Amino acid sequence: MSGHRVRAITRRLLQGFRRDRRTLALLFVAPIVILGLLGYLMRGSTSSPAVGIANEDSGPLGAVVADALRHSSHLKTSEIAASDGDAKLKNGSLVAYIVLPADFSQRAQSGAVAPEVHLEGSQPGEDSPVIQALQQAMISLASQVSGRSVNFQPQLTYLYGGPSYDTLDYFGAAFVGLVVFFLVFVITIVSFLNERSQGTLERLMASPLRRGEIVLGYMLGFTVIAFVQAAEVLIFSLAVLKIHNEGNVLLIFGVEALMAIAAVNLGIFLSMFARSEFQAVQFIPLVVVPQVLLSGIIFPVSTEPGPLQFLSDVLPLTYAVNGMRDIMVKGADLTWSSLQLDIAVVAGFCVLLIAAGTATLRRRLG
Amino acid sequence: MSETYAVDIEDVSKSFGALKALNGVTLRVRRGEIYGLLGPNGAGKTTLIRLVCGLLEAHAGTVTVLGQRMPNVPVLRHIGYMTQQAALYPALSVEENVEFFAAINGADAGVKAALELVQLYDRRGSVVATLSGGMRQRCSLACALVHRPELLLLDEPTVGIDPQLRVQFWDSFRRMAAEGTTIIVSSHVMDEADRCQRLGLIQYGKLLAEGTPADIRTQGGSQNLEEAFLALAGRKES
Repeated sequence: MSGHRVRAITRRLLQGFRRDRRTLALLFVAPIVILGLLGYLMRGSTSSPAVGIANEDSGPLGAVVADALRHSSHLKTSEIAASDGDAKLKNGSLVAYIVLPADFSQRAQSGAVAPEVHLEGSQPGEDSPVIQALQQAMISLASQVSGRSVNFQPQLTYLYGGPSYDTLDYFGAAFVGLVVFFLVFVITIVSFLNERSQGTLERLMASPLRRGEIVLGYMLGFTVIAFVQAAEVLIFSLAVLKIHNEGNVLLIFGVEALMAIAAVNLGIFLSMFARSEFQAVQFIPLVVVPQVLLSGIIFPVSTEPGPLQFLSDVLPLTYAVNGMRDIMVKGADLTWSSLQLDIAVVAGFCVLLIAAGTATLRRRLG
Repeated sequence: MSETYAVDIEDVSKSFGALKALNGVTLRVRRGEIYGLLGPNGAGKTTLIRLVCGLLEAHAGTVTVLGQRMPNVPVLRHIGYMTQQAALYPALSVEENVEFFAAINGADAGVKAALELVQLYDRRGSVVATLSGGMRQRCSLACALVHRPELLLLDEPTVGIDPQLRVQFWDSFRRMAAEGTTIIVSSHVMDEADRCQRLGLIQYGKLLAEGTPADIRTQGGSQNLEEAFLALAGRKES
């Protein structure tokens, strides 16, 4: 063991970093950006779920419970008519609505209540604050019904998913697309970079090939691989993991394929801004991680702080994730306008990237 | 085509930032000629070759190749370019590499002939990553000439090749030139310079001297080409 030789290696390493400003910036800027974003997302979020209350009670006790719910700090409540509830769940303006039936007071006096809780159900974890707040409200009810314990048995119904619907079902739908997007992006950016570093791109440029032909050829090649991968991921998710799926499998595959095409072109485009494979890999924390945080995969876009919602709205991955969930969780088909929008945005993004990739692939090197 | 010159470079300058890579170079290469570009490392040889195949654009002056002002994409079909490093796809076999470059130049029929010319036909199934440096160089040459270009640009083609193979390379160059192919070879090996019909000496981005090897010997005042070159280079500098 020679300290001198060890020092030589250490010094060589640090000298290299001194010249690679970009790597240095990444090492010290990226953690702050990512942690800052995460902190802002989790602390700054306005996460009280929007809950509708339909008080149909003919007696006085329904109003007591409704009032207690209104004052709950964990919910954002509004008065609704029970008949409007399902429509409001569907359009996303409510996460849940609670119906206090006409015989609510009567049944409370006899010691057992069964308020209806209708949940949207596509996001696991959003139902528990609703049920907890309702339980709290029931305590104030008990004080009104002197001396008697009231048995509380909420009737839960789910618009989407269901009682067996779990976290994997929610995340799975998004991850099926994300896994393909991410891996295809990485292999494209690295192999396009190889083309530069091994000198073959220079050869291609000195041949009659057009830039568009190179980009299109690459796109088709990687799309073949991406399609096989997308099919494999989908079959594994549905057959082995048994991820909840309401939608058409071909439609899911279609959105996956579109995401793969976007990833290929993003890889080609970004490879223009990297000089080495090392720098290419650096795009992962800069390009992929913020997209994952902001696309609604983990934190629903609707609970993000306002400025971040704006950012989420311009990221194509947000639309892709939303589309995948709409299909798999809600059984959306092509007649849904929200799915049409999602697919149009992702497809538009593909076209934009193909153009950008072609434009940045310069024939002349200097 | 009637024009005598395959390559006509007129008063060309090219800089990269503050570095003047080429400074007012005028140079003409006749059809069917083997023209040697000589000069030390960093003299501007590669820049000149890149200008000829349209990878770079001159800041001043004109580059005309096969009667067309460069850069011009259709002309590239008639140019073969062998880069300094053997630019190949390491995961593909020798034959697959040559087939690829044949296909992008629209010359799928020439693969076998090109492989035979560089004597790699028997090794055509070998994956490039497993080849020696010399074999890669040969494969790279096959890729450059598979479409039988009218103009062949060779950037230090014999670097890393043993003397025996170098002789064979030059035999094929001469045969191709006899069939009408124009060849521009860059080199800093003087022994190769002697095999060219005409030479251009480049240093610090300028053309110092031009002529047949015999002319250069006379101009430099030495029977040894290397000494003549050094004499010419030193004279211009002082």
